[in-house]
Amino acid sequence: MAASTLLFVASILLSSFALSCYASGTFSALQKSILLTSSPKSGQVLKAGEANITVTWSFNKTYPAGTDSAYKTVKVKLCYAPISQKDRGWRKTKDELKKDRTCQHKIVKRDYKPETDSVTWTVERDIPTATYFVRAYVYNAEEKEVAYGQSTNDGKKTNLFEVEAITGRHVSLDIASVCFSVFSIVSLAGFFYLEKRKGAASQQK
Amino acid sequence: MGDIEGSPGSSMHGVTGREPVLAFSVASPIVLTDPTAKFDLPVDSEHKAKVFKLFSFANPHMRTFHLSWISFFTCFVSTFAAAPLVPIIRDNLNLTKGDVGNAGVASVSGSIFSRLVMGAVCDLLGPRYGCAFVIMLTAPTVFCMSFVADASGYIAVRFMIGFSLATFVTCQYWMSTMFNGKIIGTVNGTAAGWGNMGGGATQLIMPLLYDLIQRFGATPFTAWRIAFFIPGWLHVIMGILVLTLGQDLPDGNLGALQKKGDVSKDKFSKVFWYAVTNYRTWIFVLLYGYSMGVELSTDNVIAEYFFDRFDLKLQTAGIIAATFGMANLLARPFGGYASDVAAQRFGMRGRLWTLWILQTLGGVFCILLGRSNSLPIAVTMMIIFSVGAQAACGATFGIIPFISRRSLGIISGMTGAGGNFGSGLTQLLFFTSSQISTAMGLTYMGIMIVACTMPVTLVHFPQWGSMFLPPSRDVVKGSEEHYYVSEWTEDEKQQGMHQGSVKFAENSRSERGRRVASAPTPPYATPNHA
Repeated sequence: MAASTLLFVASILLSSFALSCYASGTFSALQKSILLTSSPKSGQVLKAGEANITVTWSFNKTYPAGTDSAYKTVKVKLCYAPISQKDRGWRKTKDELKKDRTCQHKIVKRDYKPETDSVTWTVERDIPTATYFVRAYVYNAEEKEVAYGQSTNDGKKTNLFEVEAITGRHVSLDIASVCFSVFSIVSLAGFFYLEKRKGAASQQK
Repeated sequence: MGDIEGSPGSSMHGVTGREPVLAFSVASPIVLTDPTAKFDLPVDSEHKAKVFKLFSFANPHMRTFHLSWISFFTCFVSTFAAAPLVPIIRDNLNLTKGDVGNAGVASVSGSIFSRLVMGAVCDLLGPRYGCAFVIMLTAPTVFCMSFVADASGYIAVRFMIGFSLATFVTCQYWMSTMFNGKIIGTVNGTAAGWGNMGGGATQLIMPLLYDLIQRFGATPFTAWRIAFFIPGWLHVIMGILVLTLGQDLPDGNLGALQKKGDVSKDKFSKVFWYAVTNYRTWIFVLLYGYSMGVELSTDNVIAEYFFDRFDLKLQTAGIIAATFGMANLLARPFGGYASDVAAQRFGMRGRLWTLWILQTLGGVFCILLGRSNSLPIAVTMMIIFSVGAQAACGATFGIIPFISRRSLGIISGMTGAGGNFGSGLTQLLFFTSSQISTAMGLTYMGIMIVACTMPVTLVHFPQWGSMFLPPSRDVVKGSEEHYYVSEWTEDEKQQGMHQGSVKFAENSRSERGRRVASAPTPPYATPNHA
C-alpha cells in the first residue's frame, strides 16, 4: 500500500504541473495568413523512411503590413486528413488547440521570416500509414499560436497525400520467433515422453 | 471443561495467549493434525498444510505455492502485454477503435474455453501437467506477435495468447490440494492475487522494455515487437521449472498415486454433472464475471484511457495503469483473508456478506472513476475501485472450495471462465463502439457491477445458511457430511469412493463460525494413504 500512496502523491504533483500550463487558444481564432505549399501531388503515396517532402511557406502579402509583427517562430507539422481520423478518437480535431490532436508529427521548427522559407524533410520511419496534409503554426513570443497556413482547403478535402509506413517486421525477428517456439514445444514433448517412460519402467519393476 | 473434542468449553484456543490468532495458521483442535505425516509444515488428515509460511520454499506445499503463482503471473504479463503499447501498435497496424476493442475482447475470450477444459484436466490429469502444457504451448503464440501486420492478425494473436490464462485454474486447484480449508481463502487469494499482479506489472514492464529497445536503435514499429520476446522467454522458463520442481499432491504426483491405487480415478461425466446441476456454480460464474471480469477489462483499457484523456506520456500512463493491477499484491489476499476472518466469527454467512460488500464497493468506485475529470481524483477512484474488485475476487475463492468437493476442478474452471466471459461481454458492450467514450464506458461498467452482485444473496448452504436465512434445523440435512456425500451414488459409496468427501466434510466444520459443533467429531480416522 505504501507504493500506491507514493504513486498517488506523485500523480498529484504531476497534474499540478500540467494545470500550470493551461492556455485557452482556439483554432478558429487564428489568422490564416501563411501561404503554404507541399511537394506531394494529390493522392501520391510516399514511403516512410525513403520519400521526401518539400514544404514552402511565406507570409501572405494580401494581409495588412504589420500583421506579422508579433510572429516569432514557425512549426511545420504533418496532419491527419479526416478519413484517417474516422473511428480513431486519439486523432480527433478539436477547436481548443490544447486538446486538438490533428497534427501529431513535427516536421521542422524555425524562426519566423516574412520571406519565403522552405524545408525538405524525409518522411520518418515512425509515421503511420494514413492520409495527410501539411500545416504550419506561427507562434508569438509567449509560445501561443497566432496564425497558420496549410496545404489543403478549409474543408481538408483537396491536395491530400498518403504515407505508406514501414511494417516494423524483420526477417531476423521472424526467424528468432520460430526458433524459440520450436524449442518450447520440443522441450515440453521431451519432458512428457521421458516421464511416461520412467513411469512405465517403474511399473514393470 | 468437557473432555470430548469439540464440546462447549473444550477449545484451548487462545488460552495461553501464545496461539496465533491470524488466519495464517490453523491451530484449532477441530482440525486435527496428522501426527504420522512427515512434512516441513503441520498437515491435516488429507496431508494439506495447516500453516501458510509465505517466505518458505519447502517442498511440497510452499514450493507449489511459489511455482503456481509465478506461472500465473507470467501468463498475465503476456496476455496484457499489448495493452500499454496500444498507442504505438494502433499506429503501426492502422487500427480503428473497433479493432482495439475487439482485440481486448479476444484477449480474454480464448481463456473461457481453455479454463473450462483445464478444470476437467486438473480433475483427471493433475494441475502440474495442466500448468506446464498451457504455459509452454502458448509461448509460440507470444512469439507470434513479431509477425503481425494488420488488425486481423493482431486480434488472432491476442486471442491465442489469452488461452494461457487457464493457468488460473491450475493455480487455484493446486492450492486447494495443498492447503487446508480453514486457510484456503488466504492462500488462494494470495496466489491468485500475486498472479493477477502480472496484469499491472506488464503495464510498467512493457513500456520500459520498449523504451530500452528504442535506445538501442530500433524504430518504434520494430521495438514493440522485440519487447514481446521477454514474456515469451518467461513462459518457457516457468514451464520447465514447473515440470522439474512441481508435484500434484502432497504425497506425490497424480499419475504415480493413481497407479498405486491411492487416489481413485473419477469419471468426467459424473464430475461435470455435479458441477453443472449445482445452482451455486452458476451464481458464482456470474459474480466472478463482475469482479475478475472488470479487472481484466480495466487492464485492457486503462493505460490508453489515461494516455488519451489526460494527455500523459506512454510511460506515465503505464505507471498509473500499473497501480491498478499491482494493487493485487495486497488487495486480493486481503479479500481472501477478510473472508477467512469473517468465517471464524460468522461462518459461511460472513464469507457471503464480505463478498457482497467488497464487490459492490468496487462497482460504486468504478462509476466514480468514469465521472472523474481531474487526474488526481481519477487516480484515487481507480485505486479504491481496484481494491474493491480485487478483494472481491479473493473473497470469491474463499467460498468456491466449499461448493463441491467432487467437482472442485470443474467449478473452479467454470468460475474462471465466467470471469473472462464477463470481461469479453463488458468490453464488447462498453469499450468497442466509437459512440461510447471510454469514460462513459467505465461508468456503465460500474453500474453493471452493482447489479450483477445482487445474486449472491441467493446462495444458500443447508448446513450453514445464507446471507439472510439460517441453516437447516434438520439433523441429517443440516450436516456437512450429508451435503458432500450426496454427490456420490450408493454404488460409489460401496466402493469407498466417497472417503475423500467425508474427510473434507469433517475439516469443513469450521464454516459454522462460532456456533459450536453439535454433532460429535468422528474419531480420528486412518488416512487411506500412509
